[in-house]
Amino acid sequence: MPLVGSRDISQLASESPVIPGLDTEPLELPGAQLLQLLYEIDDSGMTSLLPPALHPTIPPTVFITVMKAPESPWGPFALAEVRVGCRSGARPRALLYRAVCNSAEAAKGLGERWGYPLVMGEVSLERGYDRVHATAATPGDGLVLDATLRNPDPIGNGDLQYISSLHLARVRRDGEDVVRLIQVDPDYAVSKADRGRPELAACRLGAFGLEGAEISYAVSASAATVNITLPALRYLVDPNKPPLQSVERI
Amino acid sequence: MKFGIFYEISVPRPWERETEYQVYQNCLEQVRLADELGFDQVWAVEHHFLEEYSHCSAPEIFLTACAMQTKNIRIGRGIVVCVPQFNNPIKAAEVAATMDLVSGGRLEFGTGRSATWTELGGFSADPDETKKTWDEWVRIIPKMWTQERFAYEGRAFSMPKRAILPKPYQKPHPPMWVAVTSPGTELDAADRGMGSLGLTFGGFQEQEAKIAEYRRRIKYCNPVGSFVNEQVNTVNFLFCHEDNEYGAKTGQRLAGTFNYLAEQLLAARQAYPTRSYPNLGLLPALRREATSAPEGSIPEGLAIGNPDRIVEVIRKWEAVGVDRINFLLNAIETVPQEEVLASLRLFAKEVMPKFAGKPEAVAVGGAD
Repeated sequence: MPLVGSRDISQLASESPVIPGLDTEPLELPGAQLLQLLYEIDDSGMTSLLPPALHPTIPPTVFITVMKAPESPWGPFALAEVRVGCRSGARPRALLYRAVCNSAEAAKGLGERWGYPLVMGEVSLERGYDRVHATAATPGDGLVLDATLRNPDPIGNGDLQYISSLHLARVRRDGEDVVRLIQVDPDYAVSKADRGRPELAACRLGAFGLEGAEISYAVSASAATVNITLPALRYLVDPNKPPLQSVERI
Repeated sequence: MKFGIFYEISVPRPWERETEYQVYQNCLEQVRLADELGFDQVWAVEHHFLEEYSHCSAPEIFLTACAMQTKNIRIGRGIVVCVPQFNNPIKAAEVAATMDLVSGGRLEFGTGRSATWTELGGFSADPDETKKTWDEWVRIIPKMWTQERFAYEGRAFSMPKRAILPKPYQKPHPPMWVAVTSPGTELDAADRGMGSLGLTFGGFQEQEAKIAEYRRRIKYCNPVGSFVNEQVNTVNFLFCHEDNEYGAKTGQRLAGTFNYLAEQLLAARQAYPTRSYPNLGLLPALRREATSAPEGSIPEGLAIGNPDRIVEVIRKWEAVGVDRINFLLNAIETVPQEEVLASLRLFAKEVMPKFAGKPEAVAVGGAD
């Protein structure tokens, strides 16, 4: 059967957000700008980056995503994330251990409702005709991401596919915090989409909880204007169980 | 209705020295038995880098071995990847002709373009280009077979006039097929007068609509080859056992394992935004729909269970308009080899005779 992860995530989990209740209502983020780069990573990280509940993709991959939301209950915000491509059982997913957000209010709301594991920092996303450029920096690590889509070319809005996320978080149950991966499968209504050449001037994977991972091969880059609807939570994954026993329905 | 067997050649971990050897030997033993039992065809895929799921990167070699160990069973390239980073059209035509000669005219020639980033990326192929190069190749390969000397100036491929040798044994040339996985490719097959080599496990309803449209469109086709190969070939799982419950349970385990492995692959569309690969995870959804069923029941379209149930299922496929069914017999050796062989024997004894001697559904053309 397929390879499974081998990572002990208890240390990372101790820094993850706590979700007090799972009855989250959906939330729309209209007119968001989204930049996504996909890279293959070295196969030395194939199993060592994932917990036992998940299978690696073949080849192993990371999704680098920067999102700028002009409107939200917390005001404008931006976040930058690097997720590991994986499979939860047979379903395509991308696992997020840590991301950078530029708004304390948004970080608190996203963490408590969807388990976004966010640290505070500076995040920028600029869309031009010749490039779409994003950076992220944190007080502790400095510049952790400098990513560009070069030479954007329009593609069909339906040509983009975004993979649902699993967020490392803790869920409060009977007064205790239990570690779970929170499935977040937003709806994306794309109104403008471009594809281009991916370029990474900086990507400190350790800052995203991916110590030891090495970028090895550029795959693709896309940029889009999107109405994102963050969903009601439906599934959790127990990170330490085998893949076929790990999914819990809420 | 004709029956065949279909190989991905999936190999379980751990990959020790004997593992791949044994899986290949098991496959060859199954092919020899299938030939003796009267199965009509054996197909093998071309896949690269697909860990566990498919270790069948040189199907022309495997199928030649099959041909050398059998007498009657036809050998199907399912498929030749028509992408220049994977193959070359001259070489593809030459290899196919040689296979046809050494097998005594038993080749079926399937074409396609690969659907995973795992493979396309591995060969540095451009996903935007694959449909275009496939289209160019399927037009020129039959001419390479039938013209004494061939020259071509095209978009992605050109060559000065040369004799491409040898020529196939079947005249004018082997039947040509298109692998149908993306929605709409069955229409590409119809428009070019090619057989539809279905590689998904769709249920009756979904397949019926596709086949009806294929039949309608192919009437007005502009054939790429020297004849129209109007045939619909579909794929299914086979596990036949006297005990219906045991047969269904084992068959569902086989189907579940295969689908689980398939969904670990990185689809082209998931990695690279392109119009060239239009399905948004539709294929896994279809596979799941076709091979899953409510607790305690058997998925309606699968050839698993006892002979009576399998006869009933095949009658429905026949009614839907399918001409041929190719069976996947195993996945990472989930089913012990002796049980696979027993399943083939029981199918041949109890099921195949029910479909023998009937006129072929709608096939026209075909090799002389």
